Amino acid sequence: MRNIGRVLRKDLRLGPRSPFILYAFVLPVIMTLLIRSVFGGLFDAKPRLAIVDLGASQVTADAMELDGIEVSLLSDADTLRNQVESHDFDAGLVLPAGFDEAVRSGTRPEMALYISGESLASDRVVLAVTTIDLVREVSGEPPPVEVEVISFGEESLELSLRLLPLIMIYAVAIAGAMVPALSLVEEKEQNTIDALLVSPASVHELMAAKVLLGVILAFSTGVMTLAINDAFSGELLGIVITLLVAAVMMAEVGVILGAWAANTNTMFTVFKGGGIFLFYPVVFFIWPDLPSWIARMGPTYYFLQPIFDLAVGGAGFGDVAGDIAIGAAICLALVPAVLFMGRWLERSRGGGAAAVPEKELEGV
Amino acid sequence: MTEPAIRVDGLHYAFGANTAVDDVSFTVAPGEILGFLGPNGAGKSTTIKMMTGLLDPQAGTITVLGMSMPGEKEAIQAEIGVCFEEKNLYLNMTGRENLVFFARLFGIKGLDPDPLLRRVDLFDRADDRAADYSKGMRQRLMVARSLVNRPRVLFLDEPTDGLDPVSSLAIRRIIREEADRGAAVVLTTHDMLEADKLSDRVAFIHEGRILAIDAPETLKLAHGKRSVRVRSQRGGEVEESVISLDGDGADDEIRRAVGVEGLLTIHTEEATLEDIFIEFAGRGLR
Repeated sequence: MRNIGRVLRKDLRLGPRSPFILYAFVLPVIMTLLIRSVFGGLFDAKPRLAIVDLGASQVTADAMELDGIEVSLLSDADTLRNQVESHDFDAGLVLPAGFDEAVRSGTRPEMALYISGESLASDRVVLAVTTIDLVREVSGEPPPVEVEVISFGEESLELSLRLLPLIMIYAVAIAGAMVPALSLVEEKEQNTIDALLVSPASVHELMAAKVLLGVILAFSTGVMTLAINDAFSGELLGIVITLLVAAVMMAEVGVILGAWAANTNTMFTVFKGGGIFLFYPVVFFIWPDLPSWIARMGPTYYFLQPIFDLAVGGAGFGDVAGDIAIGAAICLALVPAVLFMGRWLERSRGGGAAAVPEKELEGV
Repeated sequence: MTEPAIRVDGLHYAFGANTAVDDVSFTVAPGEILGFLGPNGAGKSTTIKMMTGLLDPQAGTITVLGMSMPGEKEAIQAEIGVCFEEKNLYLNMTGRENLVFFARLFGIKGLDPDPLLRRVDLFDRADDRAADYSKGMRQRLMVARSLVNRPRVLFLDEPTDGLDPVSSLAIRRIIREEADRGAAVVLTTHDMLEADKLSDRVAFIHEGRILAIDAPETLKLAHGKRSVRVRSQRGGEVEESVISLDGDGADDEIRRAVGVEGLLTIHTEEATLEDIFIEFAGRGLR
């Protein structure tokens, strides 16, 4: 069993020399940046308002109590302008001394609202309307109209949020499945696997090392993807357990593929063709109107849905435990296939794969 | 009598309908070099794969250092060194890293690879990646790798194939040193001269069967034809005659040939291992 660690250490040490492992880590970052640039952040923070209050205004006190915006108090107008300009805040408000008294007396005092050029249009609207409402409250006037809020259309999340599963599947599938598969195929292409198989390292130790390689990388890229998308807002333990299920499942798939594929070209071709089976549940997150039972046919659904529910939907672990359990069961079901492919790989290297008894094939 | 390091008895392997190894039996003593000679597809590599644990025999028994293969495969693999014909180094690792990694697989911590690297004349390039090595350097590194555990049994599959004379000489010297240390060596080669020089015994294998196994000299004496080739010049023409030393009346024929007018050259000719192989197999090695 010690050789699992030795082979794993070797693979991890060689990792930085492999462009593909670097690609596995860079891809989720690039996808996140692309999606952010198009749709805004997946988990954008509240609009940020800076206030310089030179006269203890009620506007400031009321603004501080609002949930929908993030308010910071600054000491002088120059600092505020600089920080709004550098987009540290979406907007900045300067309230002169005696502002409240001036409003109440109806003298219409000047109030400067600075808007960052980089702020989102939606944030600008929210901050501007909120500011006017706050000032109206100071004046004691009732709002000119009563607004009735009516939900229109089906309630659904923003598209940017629904793209999280897409980034996640890329992150864990590339790092968890492709990297160990490629590592195993390269061992075959370079014939190093023969040198390993005539050493005290067994084929099962080799397979286990590759699975662990995939688990570590998939878990790392999964954590990284959630972190850069500010998605660690849900139940942390639930997210970690789900990520582990995702990492193990992808690593097992990768090792099975790597053991089977004769060379890199075959591996990539199969991954491109068969990868749809892993990737298609993502479609049902992007278009939630599609019937979800189809998504449930895909094994990756059983970690994508829990991660989505935990990170986006604010679900608790108990809410997603059923799906996670099914995901874990799929991982367990793949273990015999991994063991079988290990034996198959060993025999194929000896030239004797054809000699695998038919009844063994039936078991997988 | 010393217990053989390797004992193979009635070994059999077939790929579907094609028999690759058929009732092969032999022994190799500690410190002995057994040359495995045969053309491509003769069954040499399949036999080595079974002896090293890459392939399970379909029939027959293999005992290495008193242990049964494949039953005690892991214990056997800890005691053997294998150098395949196909290059199988980690090209992204340096020469030093390749040796240290494989030493760790054998449970050897803190191996100092420098003596081995010096032995195969790679010390100066130890920190270069194997990808930057020439074919000969890679082969020498593979031989060094097969020695990291000081193996008691060494399997070398075509270790000098396609190498320059200097690299070949270095590898032959190492093989001899390992045998002198007490390791049993199984060597497959196409190179008859190499087999003749290095091997204590050679086994001719053809179509999965061992045709003959003995010391090269014994085989040549028992099965080879000795002769004398005489060239002389008569008039403007060069004549050549071959006198067999194995037949009756060879002495008289040689005396006559030596006394002939216009004698140019006399060469004695011995059978080569290839000649003997052809006699057994009815075809050459290539």
